[in-house]
Amino acid sequence: MANKVLGDYKKLEAEGRYQVGADVPKVTFREIGKRGIHRLDGYEKASGQAIYTRDIQLPGMLYARVLMSPYPHARIQKMETGEAEALPGVRAIIRYDDVEVKDRMLNGCYFGPEWVAPRLAGWALKPVHPVLGDQAWYEGQPLGAVVAADSEDIAHRALRLLKVEWEELPFVLDQEEALKPDAPILRPEADNNLIERPGETIEKGDVERGFREADKIIEFRAKRNAHLWAGAELPSVVVRWRGDNLELSVHEQQPYHAKMLLSEWLKVPMNKITMHSPYQGCAFGGRGNPANNSENGMNILAALLARRTGRPVKLLYDRREYFYGESGDMMVGDFKVGAKNDGTITAVQMKNVFAVYMGTPGIDHFVENTKISNLLCKTSTADVSKGPAWWCRCEQLPNTFCFTLVFDHVAAELGLDPTEVALKNDGFEDYDTTELSKYKREHGFPDRDSLRECIGAGKKAIGWAEKWHPPGTKKLPNGKMHGMAFTWNHEWDDTRGTGSGAVMIENDGTVSIIGQQSDIGVNPWTTYCQIVADELGVRYEDVNIKPFTLDHGYALMSPDGSANLCTNGEVLRKASQKAKKMLLELAADKFDGVTAEELDMKDSVIYVKAAPEEQRTIVEIVARAMPMSASVALWTKPPVVASAWHNQGLWGRALETGRPHLCRQAHFMEVEVDTGTGEIEVTKVVNVNDVGKAVSPETVEGQMYGGTYMGVGRALTEEMVWDENTGVLLNRNLLDYKYATMLDCGPIETVIKETGMGHGPYGAVGVAEDIATVVPALLGPAVYNAIGEWIDEYPITADKVLKALGKSQERD
Amino acid sequence: MKDDKSRCSCPYCSNTFDTVKELRSHMMAEHKGQPLPAPEGLIKITVNGESYELQVKPNWTLYYLLHDKMGLTGAKMFCDRGACGSCTVIMDGSPILSCMTLAMECDGKTIETIEGIATANHPLIDAYVKHHCMQCGYCTPGFIMTAKALLDRNPNPTEIDVKENLAGNLCRCGTYPQHLKAVLEAAENLRGG
Repeated sequence: MANKVLGDYKKLEAEGRYQVGADVPKVTFREIGKRGIHRLDGYEKASGQAIYTRDIQLPGMLYARVLMSPYPHARIQKMETGEAEALPGVRAIIRYDDVEVKDRMLNGCYFGPEWVAPRLAGWALKPVHPVLGDQAWYEGQPLGAVVAADSEDIAHRALRLLKVEWEELPFVLDQEEALKPDAPILRPEADNNLIERPGETIEKGDVERGFREADKIIEFRAKRNAHLWAGAELPSVVVRWRGDNLELSVHEQQPYHAKMLLSEWLKVPMNKITMHSPYQGCAFGGRGNPANNSENGMNILAALLARRTGRPVKLLYDRREYFYGESGDMMVGDFKVGAKNDGTITAVQMKNVFAVYMGTPGIDHFVENTKISNLLCKTSTADVSKGPAWWCRCEQLPNTFCFTLVFDHVAAELGLDPTEVALKNDGFEDYDTTELSKYKREHGFPDRDSLRECIGAGKKAIGWAEKWHPPGTKKLPNGKMHGMAFTWNHEWDDTRGTGSGAVMIENDGTVSIIGQQSDIGVNPWTTYCQIVADELGVRYEDVNIKPFTLDHGYALMSPDGSANLCTNGEVLRKASQKAKKMLLELAADKFDGVTAEELDMKDSVIYVKAAPEEQRTIVEIVARAMPMSASVALWTKPPVVASAWHNQGLWGRALETGRPHLCRQAHFMEVEVDTGTGEIEVTKVVNVNDVGKAVSPETVEGQMYGGTYMGVGRALTEEMVWDENTGVLLNRNLLDYKYATMLDCGPIETVIKETGMGHGPYGAVGVAEDIATVVPALLGPAVYNAIGEWIDEYPITADKVLKALGKSQERD
Repeated sequence: MKDDKSRCSCPYCSNTFDTVKELRSHMMAEHKGQPLPAPEGLIKITVNGESYELQVKPNWTLYYLLHDKMGLTGAKMFCDRGACGSCTVIMDGSPILSCMTLAMECDGKTIETIEGIATANHPLIDAYVKHHCMQCGYCTPGFIMTAKALLDRNPNPTEIDVKENLAGNLCRCGTYPQHLKAVLEAAENLRGG
């Protein structure tokens, strides 16, 4: 595996496809990094004008709904659809045994006809995954029948009129139970519930040697219960046929993948599919799994219904129906850590058992982010009777969970300040920070100690020196116990993005960015316009993007993996540079005796570098650069439009071969714990993010605020609760599944560091996934510091606090 | 028989008759010359200052009427059952959840939606854009409607007032801290600050 990766890295590097050294910007920052820039999507969203997929209606449109399984594991024996068909307003019902869908599986492939689903896109899903099958592997699974009717209400009533005979089958909810020999086996073809996946054991060095070198051995067990992203806009798709052409509006984070999958399944050529991606009400990765019933599956069913009825069809899920897509960190882990008295960690061993998992094993950040030599991670993943898990802000959750808990347990056990333990172990691939410094210098980066800078800023912001105290020792005047905690991580430089786009100078001198991109709210379009403005030398106000369709052929990197800006910044920088060259070549004709190289552009004016008073407006240059024109052909010139493609590199870690993460992040939390009720209040969070370069500081802060609220919710209250007796998910709504409201977190302080040490454009790294992924595990150490007892099962609810304090009657 | 009779109920006064002939005689005698009675489900509402006479069904929510039938898509379906505040509109001065309100209950009411207050250039809109109070933007109109109702009642809210009033609105992107800044700034602008 490592050799394979080595080969890929070297090849990509040799081809110049991914950048290893520092990015030294060649433009003057005018818009980039500026505060107060008018947010491109702001007015549309604030005024209610923004249209989301769910808002779209077409003339004559039918509404479609899918049947969901009431049982966690069951098979349809028989289904009568007569009564439903007879209901006035019902226009079509597709059954599981109809020819269009019978025995047809969801295609999980990202790359055309090459089936890669089981390993890359599908092994977290249920192994057999029909588009509309007769078997349920979890309660709430879409199956059996899909109805199209004149209204949503009629479609819903029709589903209730279906007469289904179910054969209930045994189920299992807990991953450790599922792996026991007497557990019911969920897949008929298998002889146990173990999901096969690559990389079950990750080993570096020798943990036994590390344990022998340690002064202290620390052992604990930790558990993360299921939570889910539960985005704002519920799934829907609007489909219509135009002859043999198919036109859709989708709620997808990655519409290009969705188009590939749909084309493959329906056997409709890709050039006959028009796909629109209106505004998207959240995604967080949750709409980035096209290989799923609620994405490609619903697109397929809607297209089939539209074909049967000859009418546009909108297929919708309601909130109850869309309560699956767990976070990928349903896990229980047994940890054994060796450490020296000074905080040097000599060995980390973890055995993690996941449920229907899709994500990371738990050990990766120790590899990528520390100098710890001896690491061992054994993971196993069990199939259980729960919905498919998927990565959502983000797949690194198991990695950050394990990382924070190990570091904070070590610091607590040794009685050390956790910030010191972090600094003691910082590094990469078992190299220490000396090696990091060497790498920075050799590759043209500024040699800054990002972790030390972040910790320094964070300690100051939270008042660490004055407030830090031994566990369980600080009672506040209000009677509650005060606690505080710290954790850290590397930057979110998921170097896996690929995108394409174009920059066009319109004939009035304004600039259009051409490229589809699904908006999920991270304000990308403003930042693209900032970059294009500075790279071209035009005013920010003169740049715009209309990213709602795939039809022009360019698809910018989807907002995944914190790789959006790092990839698309490069795409648009390259395209801008090409377009600028074209423009200046065209402009040279308009100046006397001047070549393109002697010209430049600023504030949308072209001028001679040696004589800046000699100027032309862009309009003067491009007035005849026409995509089309009915005037005399001799007068016209080709349009100024340039495209670019960029691959930001391979995904993730350095693996001793690629590039190490250079930027660090530090997070601090303060809590108050009521030892009478068990209630925890998060009173302050400080996030210090070294983002390399903040192209839009307010946008970075938005992610720092938002990630904190999501993180605090995940830590305190977010939990999917299944009934053990029936296997039914009990809290399928946003009243009983609680995420944080405005009142659920105290002040959040944001500190942006810009060391320029990222591998993205202008030295940037991603930020959007870091906070929500790192903050949750920070609650345990904070509560420990407050009450002197560890609670390692998340979410940390009041009952667990009372139990830890010995005040609960609850039995184990 | 009951069904037959109900078919012969008088649309003016609801008296019932055994035959159509009897009903006709009754109507000619009692109601001749009167304007046609309003059919069941006809409501009169004022939305964003304009009056509408609309035929609604008993199971329609106000959200459905506004969003699906009137094309006022700023009110959003998020939680789909009164948990999130994204469908908030203002009815007779109070913020209400349009997904939990039957359209038939709104007869005679005055309703403000995000489209109305945006057209009127309410300072909240600019403040929300300036302070990046949105990420995906799906919940944003609901927040602004809730905040608008607060400022209508209390032009000088404290931080706590704003927090408590907006605490019923969910934002999965977690934009909460930015709302606080925007609402307080809009309040100041409204007071002429």
